[in-house]
Amino acid sequence: MRIRAAVSAALASAGILLVGWQSGAHVADTGSAAATTSATTSNGTSSGSAAGGGASSGSSGSSSSSGSSGSAGATAQAAGTYAGSLVQTRFGAVQVQITVKAGAITDVTALQLTDEDRKSVQISTRAAPLLRAEVIKAQSAQVQTIGGATVTSAAYLSSLQAALDAANL
Amino acid sequence: MNTSLQMAVPGTARRTPVERFRGQARSRLFRADLLTVLAWSSVAAAIALWLADGGATGFSTLAGSFTALGIVAGLAGMDLVLLMLLLVARLPLIDGAVGHDRALEFHRKLGKPSLYLLLAHGVLIAVGYGMAEGLDPVSELVSLWVLVPDMWLAIVSIGLFIAVVVTSLVAVRRRFPYEFWYTVHLLTYAAVLTAIPHQFSTGALFAEGTWQRWYWIAICIATGAALAHYRLLEPIVATVRHQLKVSRVVTEAPGVVSIELTGRHLDELAGNGGRFFIWRFLSPGAWWHPHPFSLSAEPVVFDSSGRGRLRITVRNLGRGSAQLARLKPGTRVAIEGPYGLFSTAARSRDHVVMIGAGIGITPIRALLERTPFEPGNATVILRGHSEAELYLGAEILELCRRRGATLFHLTGTRTTGEQGWMPESAVRSGHRLVSYAPHVAEADVYICGPTAWARSVISEARSAGVREEQLHNERFDW
Repeated sequence: MRIRAAVSAALASAGILLVGWQSGAHVADTGSAAATTSATTSNGTSSGSAAGGGASSGSSGSSSSSGSSGSAGATAQAAGTYAGSLVQTRFGAVQVQITVKAGAITDVTALQLTDEDRKSVQISTRAAPLLRAEVIKAQSAQVQTIGGATVTSAAYLSSLQAALDAANL
Repeated sequence: MNTSLQMAVPGTARRTPVERFRGQARSRLFRADLLTVLAWSSVAAAIALWLADGGATGFSTLAGSFTALGIVAGLAGMDLVLLMLLLVARLPLIDGAVGHDRALEFHRKLGKPSLYLLLAHGVLIAVGYGMAEGLDPVSELVSLWVLVPDMWLAIVSIGLFIAVVVTSLVAVRRRFPYEFWYTVHLLTYAAVLTAIPHQFSTGALFAEGTWQRWYWIAICIATGAALAHYRLLEPIVATVRHQLKVSRVVTEAPGVVSIELTGRHLDELAGNGGRFFIWRFLSPGAWWHPHPFSLSAEPVVFDSSGRGRLRITVRNLGRGSAQLARLKPGTRVAIEGPYGLFSTAARSRDHVVMIGAGIGITPIRALLERTPFEPGNATVILRGHSEAELYLGAEILELCRRRGATLFHLTGTRTTGEQGWMPESAVRSGHRLVSYAPHVAEADVYICGPTAWARSVISEARSAGVREEQLHNERFDW
């Protein structure tokens, strides 16, 4: 009888875990797809000094310009897009890209935001537009962090600083 | 003697055509197995829901893997803690399936594993977060304590859990009075309550919109409600309803007294269920001391309104029990119960063998009074150092005579150095359990006595072919 209990318990637990794992698989797929994309981006376009304590994947060394300008990073204040460094936080990696025209920041795009779990996604999707507006207004990384999104803000601004350095702004 | 008894067996077996208790036993075992499956499934569900919310993505990095393992340990640990609380919540479903004492045994067994899981949770999370931020685990813990709201509460909580488990270790528990252990054990509630905030706030795991949030809210509330209902409300209702009062205290033997109580609606306590209660005698200085005792006689009902009498028989075991000999008639009594499976509800066979030692004889006395058996199908074995220690012996002899049960008195000291349950003289004569109860393999075996003695009886019963569902052991030395 105890064998019956043990076997049923093992089967039931395995079944429950399998169902959980299956229904979580698409989340995992999305997550790893995003990671792959961002890795490609950071390899193909630029890389900044890793500000996250060396834990970032495949991003080190000095930044270089990318995209439309494509050519050497020495071109000072050239128009184009510059990607910042990939900054790791405990809630996920953060990386931003800036668009520069005539020495001014015209746009900030988040290539990757904290996405460890639903709450992080919630926080970062709220914080990113606010940070973008602040940065374009201030034309620098010297802006207030967003309350309730301290970790995301710090990582966002540190990635931004790397992008600014790359653009020689 | 052996030969004649053994020859009588086949005849007796053929005379019982209906096995009325088989169905009851099958249903009870099914419920016990179902509860086991439910318990393990709840741990699996806690982890599965985390996986369903995309938890497995964490395993893509090393730091993430540490954090993810930490989360799994925390989820499993918390689930086990809630299971432990349910095991001591005295749920009728659990009590009726495995009994009060087995439930407590499982509760004790889960203590250390759940503490280890919670410790692993703390350490793995500190390592995982630390690696992600380039900090060592200790600085990470400090920064979590300082920076993250509710996290200091969680760290306090684990300290409380450690205190609770350490004071419950047998070696430590023996050194301190029961009251000290009890007070520290109450901290469990504080430990669970301080652990909850970080799960729902900063942990972000149970964020709004996740399945996990609903699962954990549901099981936390259900556990709390079960505890409040079955450990607080039901005892108060039972105490008020039955209005028990001490009517008389009778000395049975040196250091052993029977306490008789009168009350109302006692017919409700006379079913097939357990006969184990937790008693509080509401007199100054004694009301806060809970006494776990089984009835030593079936409830006697005087009239149709259910007015009647209960009796317990207790031995002067400790400070608290000593006060019981001096109880004054008229003292009000609060009860929790009845609990346990040392009753007809546990029967699985038509034959029954009842074995009691010392003060453990008294629940046998109550069981013998009414549990159904045909004359000749019951054996009662009483064990004590001397005839004077076979408490309630005269009453038991009378009951055996009336109901047709075979009675054995085994008195004398144990074989020196051996763990046997019989006196030396019986061992020398080559007697074994089957010598007294030849049909023991086809009987329910009720055992009540000191732990080591009971273990010895159980192991002999097992080797005589008694199956798990036929063994009913009531512990009384807590």
